[in-house]
Amino acid sequence: MATGTTSAPAQDERRRAPAGKVSFLASQRGRELTLVWLFLLPSLAIFALYRIIPMIWNVVLSLEFWSPYKPATFAGLYHYQEMLFYDDAFWEVVWNTILFMISAPVGIALALGVALMVNRPVRGREVYRTIVFMSYPVMTVAVGIIWQWLYNENVGLINYMLISLGVIDRGIPFLQSFDWALPAVIIASIWQVIGFYMIILLTGLQSIPPNLYEAASIDGASPAQSFRRITLPLLKPSIFLCFVVGIINSFTAFDLIFVMTGGGPGHSTDLLITYIYSNAFRLSKFDYAAAMTVANFLLFVALAFLANRLAGGDAGSVKREA
Amino acid sequence: MRKLTSILAAGAMALSASFLATQAWAQDKKITVVTWNIPYFVDGFNLWVEEFKKIHPDFEVERIDMKGTELPTWYQTQVVAGTPPDIVNIQGGLWLEYASQGGLKDMTPLLERDKDYKDKLIPEFLSNWVYEGKQYGMPLYVTKTLLFLNKTMMKEAGIDKNPESFDEMMAQAEKMTGPGKSGFMTLNFDWLYWPLFKMNGIDFANADMTKAAFNTPEAVALVKQLADLTAKGVIDKISWTGRWVEPNGAFAAGTVGMLHAHAPAYLWFKSKGEWVNEDTVDSIALPGGWATPNSHSLVISEGSKHPEEAWDFVKIATSGVGAKAMGEGTNNLTGDKEVNAELMKYFEANVPAVVPALQTELENLDKLTGNWPFAKDAAIKDAFYPELQAAILGQKSAEDALNAAEQKVNRILASQ
Repeated sequence: MATGTTSAPAQDERRRAPAGKVSFLASQRGRELTLVWLFLLPSLAIFALYRIIPMIWNVVLSLEFWSPYKPATFAGLYHYQEMLFYDDAFWEVVWNTILFMISAPVGIALALGVALMVNRPVRGREVYRTIVFMSYPVMTVAVGIIWQWLYNENVGLINYMLISLGVIDRGIPFLQSFDWALPAVIIASIWQVIGFYMIILLTGLQSIPPNLYEAASIDGASPAQSFRRITLPLLKPSIFLCFVVGIINSFTAFDLIFVMTGGGPGHSTDLLITYIYSNAFRLSKFDYAAAMTVANFLLFVALAFLANRLAGGDAGSVKREA
Repeated sequence: MRKLTSILAAGAMALSASFLATQAWAQDKKITVVTWNIPYFVDGFNLWVEEFKKIHPDFEVERIDMKGTELPTWYQTQVVAGTPPDIVNIQGGLWLEYASQGGLKDMTPLLERDKDYKDKLIPEFLSNWVYEGKQYGMPLYVTKTLLFLNKTMMKEAGIDKNPESFDEMMAQAEKMTGPGKSGFMTLNFDWLYWPLFKMNGIDFANADMTKAAFNTPEAVALVKQLADLTAKGVIDKISWTGRWVEPNGAFAAGTVGMLHAHAPAYLWFKSKGEWVNEDTVDSIALPGGWATPNSHSLVISEGSKHPEEAWDFVKIATSGVGAKAMGEGTNNLTGDKEVNAELMKYFEANVPAVVPALQTELENLDKLTGNWPFAKDAAIKDAFYPELQAAILGQKSAEDALNAAEQKVNRILASQ
């Protein structure tokens, strides 16, 4: 887009062009720009093909009555009305998704505690770090199955321990209970991701210069004050990264839910992602699922915007060196 | 030199063109068959292909086997892509979604044309795949729900006769309940639990299937009773939350007194529980004889390029030697009357353990329930079951749950 102010090299190019000696493409700047676009083109094409076009198609689909077997007809805002005013399960799964998301700080706090412990010069800390991290590379399906067994009402380890300790006298049906199922799944999710959070936070902790703590100690700061005034502020980028991972996890935790509870009992452990899948492929309501995907997208954008604002408004921006 | 190059290039092009034409022809003369989680069924399938090739020697048959959880997703993406498989092995009410939207081939004229074939089939099972008077599927193997009894637990509880009514069944279940033991369990997917309602006189919908009929004082009382028995541990909670592996696995552990499931469950839990044999597990019809069929059928996609050949393949697989191979290969009965008689003899000689369960499959065929031809079957299930689950697991009162379910189901029925 041309603007009122034009740079000197561009004016030079323009001055030269009418003479017919050097065209834009043959100019140095033209060649550089062409090269840049050529490098970008494959990625942009793939991005457009797999992201932009499906996104636009999804919005179109949400405004139609569509099935794989019939021609589409215009539906207007029918599916949005259905979603907002008639489908109480939709609001339940939105709430579940938000609960899943706000559980991320619990996981981050636990991971921070573990990171602080294994950051201390204790014997065998490498082993402890590995043990904590080990849950992360485990396949989510395997995590789901492991926790299914742990939560089992009759033969599960958790119930066995609680009964042995005299806390309860009868097993709790964790995954069969409307009250316990979601917390139970959230705990399994936190367990899986805690190792990843720990590594991120540990890296952050190790990048804090030790002389800051030494100076604080000389000034008479207590460990709690050091933690609050030095550790936490300097860990902010790492904590932010963990939080972003937590948000993404709450929007994509499909496999864990699918394996552990299938979204039940009722819709008590359904997240937006599992509910969308179930509507599209189990109930063949692709058009309605598309409308929910739009809602999911808007919610995600709103949260990303909020998180960015909380992080100071420039998270992810690239700073040019002077 | 230039001339030689031109001749060689022209030759290569001609060769490529003829190769591509052959390939296209080969692609064109092919039918694709999708089976539902029976990867081990190889010899029988090969026999089907062999028989098919006797009448269509120039055709190829491609086989794809998929797990039940993957099949609907995959099938619908294939339909959207314009490449639906010709024949699909389908279970439960899934076919209704596809048939009601015009996705499946109406087999009525084909069936009427092949009277001999039609006469071989059991009419009650054939009618399972009729929607709005049109036939959309042919029975591949037939199953329906029955009651498995853990004789060891019954004996320990001092029970010496099989239950003859719902109340008796629940009373016996209560007797068998104890620490770590529950008396009763049911499968819940695809309306498999509905016989419990039907045996108490509760219908799901009115006669013309336009309105819900389940919200009655009898239903409220039953749901309350089921909730109470579930809370007391008489009915295992997995009944209402598990799908197939979990309840059958729990029965295999030997700590459940009765299991309301379909016949294929028998060999599955037998393979998991060493204690299971003809003496320790009895198979009977549910008191009153009500059962929900959970059979598998073969359907033809509306988009099939070779419907006539696909129909020939379906006939081979579902009758005569093809059906016999199916029955022997999967330990099931089929839709073919004569073949079933042969299969029962085969099972008595080779797999006697499965005979009592299979015998119930051919009885009380006038008492099938839960096989309603709702166009939006999955949506209706999704509207009803979470409410029932909430009531039985103590989250809602029976009245509130049934009121909410009635409202939702009626809304879907009105939109069909």
